[in-house]
Amino acid sequence: MKKNKTLGSTMTNGLPWILPAFIFVAGLIYYSIFYTFDLSTLDWNGLDPIQTNVGMSNYDKALSDWIFWKAIKNTVVFFLVTFVIQNFLGFIFAAILHSNVKLATLHKCLIFIPTILAPATMAPVFRLLFSPQGMLQDLFDALHLGITVDWLAQPNSALFILMIVTIWQFTGMSFILYYAAMSQIDKEMLEASHLDGAGKFRTLWSIVLPNCQSTTVSLAMLGIIGSLKTFDVPYLITTGGPNHATEFLGTYIFKQGIRQSHLGYAAAISVLLLILAICGAILISRMNKGGEK
Amino acid sequence: MKKSKVVGMGLAAFMLMTTTVLAGCSSGKEAKDTSTETSGEVVWWGWTPGSPTNEKYIEAFNKEYPDIKVTWKQTSIDAYDAALKPALANGKGVDAFQVSAGSGNGGIQVFGGQAIDLTDAVKKAVGDDFKDKLNEASISTMTVNGQLKALGVGTVYSGNLWINQDLFDKYDVKIPTNLDEWKLACEIFEKNGIYGFVQGAGQGAFNIDTFHAIADNVNPGTFTKATRGEVQWTDDSIVKALELWKKLFDDGIMQEGALGLQQYPEANNLFMSQKAAMVMMGSWYTSNALPDTMKSSIESAASKAEPFTMIPINFPDIAGTGNTGSMFGDLDYSTAVSAKSSNTKAATTFAVWLGTSQSGQQIIADSLNVVPSLKSATPDWDNVTLVNPEKQNDPIKAYLANAMNSGDNPRFGGINADMNQALMDVLAGVAGGTIKPANGADQLAKTQADSE
Repeated sequence: MKKNKTLGSTMTNGLPWILPAFIFVAGLIYYSIFYTFDLSTLDWNGLDPIQTNVGMSNYDKALSDWIFWKAIKNTVVFFLVTFVIQNFLGFIFAAILHSNVKLATLHKCLIFIPTILAPATMAPVFRLLFSPQGMLQDLFDALHLGITVDWLAQPNSALFILMIVTIWQFTGMSFILYYAAMSQIDKEMLEASHLDGAGKFRTLWSIVLPNCQSTTVSLAMLGIIGSLKTFDVPYLITTGGPNHATEFLGTYIFKQGIRQSHLGYAAAISVLLLILAICGAILISRMNKGGEK
Repeated sequence: MKKSKVVGMGLAAFMLMTTTVLAGCSSGKEAKDTSTETSGEVVWWGWTPGSPTNEKYIEAFNKEYPDIKVTWKQTSIDAYDAALKPALANGKGVDAFQVSAGSGNGGIQVFGGQAIDLTDAVKKAVGDDFKDKLNEASISTMTVNGQLKALGVGTVYSGNLWINQDLFDKYDVKIPTNLDEWKLACEIFEKNGIYGFVQGAGQGAFNIDTFHAIADNVNPGTFTKATRGEVQWTDDSIVKALELWKKLFDDGIMQEGALGLQQYPEANNLFMSQKAAMVMMGSWYTSNALPDTMKSSIESAASKAEPFTMIPINFPDIAGTGNTGSMFGDLDYSTAVSAKSSNTKAATTFAVWLGTSQSGQQIIADSLNVVPSLKSATPDWDNVTLVNPEKQNDPIKAYLANAMNSGDNPRFGGINADMNQALMDVLAGVAGGTIKPANGADQLAKTQADSE
């Protein structure tokens, strides 16, 4: 009875405060998710008045589609490589800039600026940089290295170019979060480790890194979700090619839904993407809890 | 308890209402037409031919219909479908829009359902015998379920190369007619720091053009028959064509890194800035032979080069069969009128003027961008001045005549979206060495069977 009274009181007092956000989340986001699921059961081009219900066959099709699995594989490789390098660099930069570095503010700005640049602005620059008519080729030619910069045309190297672009762009994000996390570490702890004879690298490894664990977990979650949602960089630089070598779920959904007008199939892949994103977030969260125990 | 239940039920009802309202948003109704046949405001969506040509069309239209304001809204080829679908579904901001035959962007099979039937308007403007006066493809490919959903503005053809004649003269290079001559020409240009042939093989649609030209060189008509299911994609001619396609990359005719390059803007820019001597483009490229259009294209390529002499040549006989000069084409674009437009009458006037009137089609003809749909409209060569008339007039006249006589050989008209994607995938895979020609042919046959 008392419990009900408390609940009623909460509903009366707290509800108006959360109502706008609740309506927005429940009414729009969840509506969109359910609508996408509904679409995923259709064979529909997005405009035609005729919609054919095909049940779960779009999901069957996705699971036997080699391009879908190629996109998953690319996502996994992309996440692992970018996550490790990006966070390693971000962590090191943050540690360096916590010491007495001259022009620290300038360095912080230089590291962070790529994060705020729109991929649409940078994509043509990278296309030019990594093309056989680009600046890098000119440099190699000037040095008589005999290297042809046709990496975007090669299935094996195109994905790595996208990783380089992503690492360049988002290292600033890792840096800023690690920098903030390092600012929260108790200075006495650092001094104690120094008095105990720990060197700089030992302090970084044994004191600073463990204290930044929650940041690393957050970055991992963001990394997984970001990798699954990756669209702009591959679409603008390689359009998913050559021959789907740099296909991601986002680019494949766009191609199926818009270019090939298989809206139902695109919706099915979108639902699978959502499930993967949730699973990834849960996995990282559980691993973090396991680590804390 | 009671109160919380009421609040909960209220919230649930509100959510249901919200979702119902949102669902309702996606099904727009036809708007009331506020325009007349001589006045109104028309927003015209499309991807081609772009400035300054579209503005010229509108300027000419306004001489006859000064009270109809037409606003040209252009998107890139790749972004067109993505931008147009929600706009049409919403029903606002689109009155007239470009559509195309087949599986390219703006496909009539996808967008035709959003357009009104223009049959009566065309009969009124041209007469009951309108089918005799207009290009057959203009009517047949735009008719969906017996309704004329759009009016073809003009046809584009492909199957040829464009060369920079000035560069060929400067370096004393023979115009290639077979594989060996083509290789030699590319080698000479390469030695002089210029790309011989350039193709943006990262943009698959243009690869289909090149492959179609090769297939017609191997065995004329096989490609078209394969798209119609009359010949298997595993036919020896198709496999041979795939092998020759691969050979273009292996023999150094395709420039290094071709698979990472886009035809637009990159390959086009290389040709327009005179850094490449040959490119695989179709009849839409003819307009670049006009000084103003060429200057604009050169500036778009961020180049300061002077206008140069470009002429069309036959695709070289790389199969050694002697089958050359094949061209294939279909409607480049047509104009449809949105069923949800509030300016239907004015938009219909514009679509009919552009697609069927003598004045509208004459300016289309003179722009050399497409071959007009109205049979009586041909380029007025007394008024059309090319960059180098002495060297360009005859080859371009012969080229356009050859294109119009190409017969039943559609470009994308017979290829559905799935086959289009499969062709792009297979051609990229064969070029990159990840798919063998015979396996590529199998893949095409499988997609054809699945899509049927």
